Amino acid sequence: MNLAVNSPWALSGLLLALLPLFNSGMRTSPAPWLTLMPGDKLSVFVICCLRLCAMAAIAGLVLGMAGLHRTEQSRERIGHGAHIVLLLDRSSSMDNTFAGRAPNGSDESKATAARRLLTDFVEQRQNDLIGVAEYSTSPLFVMPLTENKNAVQAAIAATATPALGFTHVSKGLGMAISFFEQQPVTGSRIVLLVSDGAAAIDHDSEVKLREWFRKQQVRLYWIFLRTANSPGIFDQPEDSRDDNAAAMPERYLHKFFLGLGSPYQAYEAESPDALKQAIADINRLENLPMHYVERIPKQDLSGTCYSIASLLLLVLLGVKFFEVKR
Amino acid sequence: MSKPLKDYRTWCLLLALIAMVVLFIYPSKQQKTPTYNYTFIIDITRSMNATDYQQDNQAVSRLHFVKQTLRELLRDLPCESKVGLGLFTERRSTLLFEPLEVCSAYTEIDTAIGKVDWRMAWAADSNIAKGLLSTLDMLKKSDSSVIFITDGQEAPPVNPNYQSDFSTVKGQAKGMIIGVGGLQAVPIPKFDSLGKQTGFYSHDDVPHRSSFGQSNLDPSQIKGYNARNAPFGSEAATGNEHLSALQETYLEKLAAESGLAYARLTDLQNLSVALQNPKLATEKVVRTDIRRQPALFALLLLCLVYLPKLPKYRLLS
Repeated sequence: MNLAVNSPWALSGLLLALLPLFNSGMRTSPAPWLTLMPGDKLSVFVICCLRLCAMAAIAGLVLGMAGLHRTEQSRERIGHGAHIVLLLDRSSSMDNTFAGRAPNGSDESKATAARRLLTDFVEQRQNDLIGVAEYSTSPLFVMPLTENKNAVQAAIAATATPALGFTHVSKGLGMAISFFEQQPVTGSRIVLLVSDGAAAIDHDSEVKLREWFRKQQVRLYWIFLRTANSPGIFDQPEDSRDDNAAAMPERYLHKFFLGLGSPYQAYEAESPDALKQAIADINRLENLPMHYVERIPKQDLSGTCYSIASLLLLVLLGVKFFEVKR
Repeated sequence: MSKPLKDYRTWCLLLALIAMVVLFIYPSKQQKTPTYNYTFIIDITRSMNATDYQQDNQAVSRLHFVKQTLRELLRDLPCESKVGLGLFTERRSTLLFEPLEVCSAYTEIDTAIGKVDWRMAWAADSNIAKGLLSTLDMLKKSDSSVIFITDGQEAPPVNPNYQSDFSTVKGQAKGMIIGVGGLQAVPIPKFDSLGKQTGFYSHDDVPHRSSFGQSNLDPSQIKGYNARNAPFGSEAATGNEHLSALQETYLEKLAAESGLAYARLTDLQNLSVALQNPKLATEKVVRTDIRRQPALFALLLLCLVYLPKLPKYRLLS
């Protein structure tokens, strides 16, 4: 139970609650000599109660005005879900269709298809924490891991703006993994890489990425949006001279991912339908038990304060009518 | 008249109770408050690393200062306002996320602004006029105001022959250009690939003129001019492009051409005053809590009942 107020300065009004200690709030009857009056324990008790009522009423009003509330609480719960970082390719080729052309009326671009399906995907994953990173020539930090689905949707929607430059996948992966630092390890941790091309990863980055993937226990899903007639990730080279990372970056990136030692799954999507299938798979598979934090929003208590104060005021007013003056 | 009614305290309590009844009947009223919808486009080119702002007696870079000020500004924005974020480098900008409601997504926006880094730049040029044009073009359909935050340092400098034409977007987008930086030219820090500073850009590191297309000068005045091989002449360009200062007149000109307002960033106070431009605000009806007023009235009446009697002093005669 964490209580807080909106305007702390208003609490200085609580001093007013001391007023009833100095004044009973009743008319006084003149008596020649107080000692003549017999002591009455019941009267003392009643007066004390009335003063307490008055003090509580004043305090209630002041607390209500100060805006007493219970702060946002979080409760840990166990559910099914995952921490997912969407790593989106913003390279210029994403603005072309699966056929490799500029989008026209009938075919949507790879970026549009990805955006549409990811929007649905995020909608279905209610318990997950989802973050967004993008990369082209350099990685872009877009949205931290969050349960705020509106924020994730806004980030996905913003990919509708024209794409940027080249494909520098290793930096993007590095940034995506960095999202999991300082996050509790619970449920599954997923990097969902959505790209339409690959790039050779230099040796230093390979070493680092291997280490990071192991350390952060991240699973990798790669949705490769294959453009027609471009090399795929499962292609075997026809000529052994082409069997190198520069000529077939997709195949080599896939090989590197396979050798990461952490769970990895690749999907080669050649149409929006195949992409849909891949996303449905992930949706089905990644539902490990996960500790997640349920937020109980801040609760306004000023209404309660006012009600209590009104009730006490009613009591005080009622008692007034029992006063007797001789 | 019965005796309790002769007591002023009874009346005070009665009035206080009536005030409380009013409080429960009319807890809130509808009020028009200005809300804002901003898309901040932050310049992340190298010149934004120049350190000419002071914060807590420490020199900080323009980019750092911009981020810090925006994060503080975020706290002051009224709920229902929206903030989106984008980055500018090269000759265009990209949108990181579309405007989000500030109260429900405060942490997300705050983190995202905090993570903006000059190393996110996907290319190294800094053609502000083109960037502004493409940004306004990109966002002209959105109802968000574009807040373009830049120091106005064009790298390489723009050839007056090839200036951007803002006539297509003028009047369609609303927003503001925020000039960042000091008016005194300062060196631009240079970093290695690991992000460590390795000194400053020197005179020979940067182009001092654009060598694209035709020169804006009369060919007869260019030494060593050759229309095909040396349209800019044979002499090496010199200049102070390796130093950076806020190009205020240039930004004011761009603002006038594109129909935006201009303001200079000096501190949070002046930024929030500039951004609270009524042109950028939309009035929204928000229910505001007015329970305080009757509660205060009731409190005063209640205090009156219990006000200690002032000790009576007898005048000594």
